[in-house]
Amino acid sequence: MKRKIGALAAATAALVVLAGCSTSGDTTDTGSADGQDITFWLMGGDTPDALRDYLKTEYNKATGGTLTIEQQDWSDALAKLTTALPDADNTPDVTEIGNTWSPTFTTVGAFSDISDMYDELGGSKLLQSFVDVGAVDGKNYAMPYYFGSRYVFYRKDLYAAAGQEVPTTLPQLTEAATALHTDALSGFYLGGEDWRNGVSWIFAYGGDLAKKDGDTWKSSLSDPKTIEGLTALQELYTSASNAPVTESDSTPWVNINTQPNATAPEAATIIAPGWAHWSIGDLAEDPNDSTKTVATWNDDVFGTYVLPGVDGGVAPVFAGGSNIAISAASKNQAGARELMKIIFSDEYQQMLGENGLGPANSDFLSSLGDDQFAKALADSAQGSKLTPAAPGWAAVEGSGLLEEFFGKVNGGGDIASLAAEYDQKIDDIING
Amino acid sequence: MSTHTAGRRIQPRRTTGVPYVLIVPAVVALLLGLGYPLVWQFITAFQDYGLAQQFGKPPEWVGFDNFANLLWDGEFWAVLVRSLVFCIVTAAVTVVIGVLMAVLMNAVGRTVRLILQISMLLAWAMPVAAATTVFIWLFDRRRGVVNYLLDMIPGVDMNRFDWLGHPLTFFLVAMILIVWMSVPFVSFAVYAGLTQISEEVMEAAQIDGANAWQRFRRIIVPMIRPVLSIVLLLQLIWDLRVFAQITLLKDAGSKASDFDLLGTYIYKLGAAANDFGVASAVSIVVLVITIAISWVYVRELIKEDEAQ
Repeated sequence: MKRKIGALAAATAALVVLAGCSTSGDTTDTGSADGQDITFWLMGGDTPDALRDYLKTEYNKATGGTLTIEQQDWSDALAKLTTALPDADNTPDVTEIGNTWSPTFTTVGAFSDISDMYDELGGSKLLQSFVDVGAVDGKNYAMPYYFGSRYVFYRKDLYAAAGQEVPTTLPQLTEAATALHTDALSGFYLGGEDWRNGVSWIFAYGGDLAKKDGDTWKSSLSDPKTIEGLTALQELYTSASNAPVTESDSTPWVNINTQPNATAPEAATIIAPGWAHWSIGDLAEDPNDSTKTVATWNDDVFGTYVLPGVDGGVAPVFAGGSNIAISAASKNQAGARELMKIIFSDEYQQMLGENGLGPANSDFLSSLGDDQFAKALADSAQGSKLTPAAPGWAAVEGSGLLEEFFGKVNGGGDIASLAAEYDQKIDDIING
Repeated sequence: MSTHTAGRRIQPRRTTGVPYVLIVPAVVALLLGLGYPLVWQFITAFQDYGLAQQFGKPPEWVGFDNFANLLWDGEFWAVLVRSLVFCIVTAAVTVVIGVLMAVLMNAVGRTVRLILQISMLLAWAMPVAAATTVFIWLFDRRRGVVNYLLDMIPGVDMNRFDWLGHPLTFFLVAMILIVWMSVPFVSFAVYAGLTQISEEVMEAAQIDGANAWQRFRRIIVPMIRPVLSIVLLLQLIWDLRVFAQITLLKDAGSKASDFDLLGTYIYKLGAAANDFGVASAVSIVVLVITIAISWVYVRELIKEDEAQ
């Protein structure tokens, strides 16, 4: 019993101390990084193993400490970040974060001010739009990690057989997809709730998800241009996609590949982030694991093009990608800063590009190579747009309202009345 | 007054403090484990508590605003009604199937009973995540064995039927999964009750000409009633706060709120959309419902206890 009380007292004392730490705001730890063991959260599987190993080795070399990388699932990352970041005992020291969530977490003070490192990490060479979403009042909190943008993959063989050319305008794309469409084949495979891809149609018609009016953000789904974009999306979905209305951002490449035991693919066209090209191609059994398959890109069968604009050119797609930041509650600030230096080192930036992830530092754009994928990535990134930098944007995404709205639109609902309904729902939370 | 003399005999034992000391660790553990979140939740329900507060900004007291907002929120009522219906139907189906399984176990020979018991133990021991994943595969739109088998029936076209894409079939799958996982508990509890019924009573009834249904309805059910009510109560409570299965099925299906039950609704409001105040208010509502359901049963149990 005595021992228990002792432990309880110690725990209480620890709580008091920790609570003291977290409320003091900026815990700029001046200690050294030597021997600090830190945790780094990665979102999803986008960062390949080779890069993870590199970070672990380099971090150990630099500090003698251990770097633990924990992969979080995109789908519940928001909830995990919300609960872990304020808690000094459980927070990751460094975390990757969806670029669109950066304003929310930066505004509430979840991250350490790293303005003093800005120049060292790359300064003005860093991708500006991503730096902007991670800054408040001129101070830098979150930095760009990598960018990717979405472009179109298509089946050359199916397009040729149906006499379809690569479309150069968005309406032509809908036409071609409709012509290719059968009960067994999606002309364009797109999930009904997949707003991250669907939003490109809104952007292409000059619409927006939300606009800033003075100091407050307002959802702008009812904007005539947004409605135009949604109408075009609804037409494409209803006339060319066999994907369920309830499917959201998923793995569309399984549909464009011809699966083992199948004679034909289920999609002639998909839109996906650039790194998806590693998963697209002729499938063969993985020599290391007979339960899996590996895809080898085949130029005769598969091709890429950039999502065309309404009147030609390039449509502004959703600028995918991530930011990276140090948790303000972390007790290992020095170690965390050390990891940031490794991530923004020339070697690592080069490795990001070589693996198809757009490097944060523009000096290393050439590392993406000059093949068709690098070209499509660069072209589509040109006009790419971010979601609104509103303080409550992460809550909007977390609430699932966008999935619900896009699902209802693509399910054949009345766009104007749905837009009015969801404008109201989003306005309730978008300002935090 | 008449019980007073009977009570006096055990009085010396009652006055020692030992029983109280003995329950202290359990009560303390309960207070720490349940008390802290409960108190936090109760306080937060009356505050405007968002992400900024989570990161240290002092929250603002808003009185009953969070509850008042719920009152006019159609989505909340839809989720509440859906959850109650789901919970009652699922609990009822579970208990009916559980009792049938128990009766079956009682009727069959030793080997068959052993096979039944082992398979049910396995279902009971299966981790929720594993069971749900298997169910997602079974009901998969493209490769699911359920669609494959149904499609073989002439005249039935279930090719590519999206079970998780429509609220009704979504909750049907969720119900089958939850029933499958909870039937073992019910049937073991009821089976234990059945073994307590003396053979003489049953034999006498049989000699008096009662048929199987009459024996079940008039003798077995009344005798195992206490077991039945406690099992039904537990099922109702468990099915009202069901969370993991629905979350995993939603991950495989839709993100829309038409597929939410109270558990996922609260999680979405709080952890994902950062409105901890309203989320706490909904949790309090669930707590009140749970206590209300339990109260009816507890009172009945006490009455039965006194009657005996």
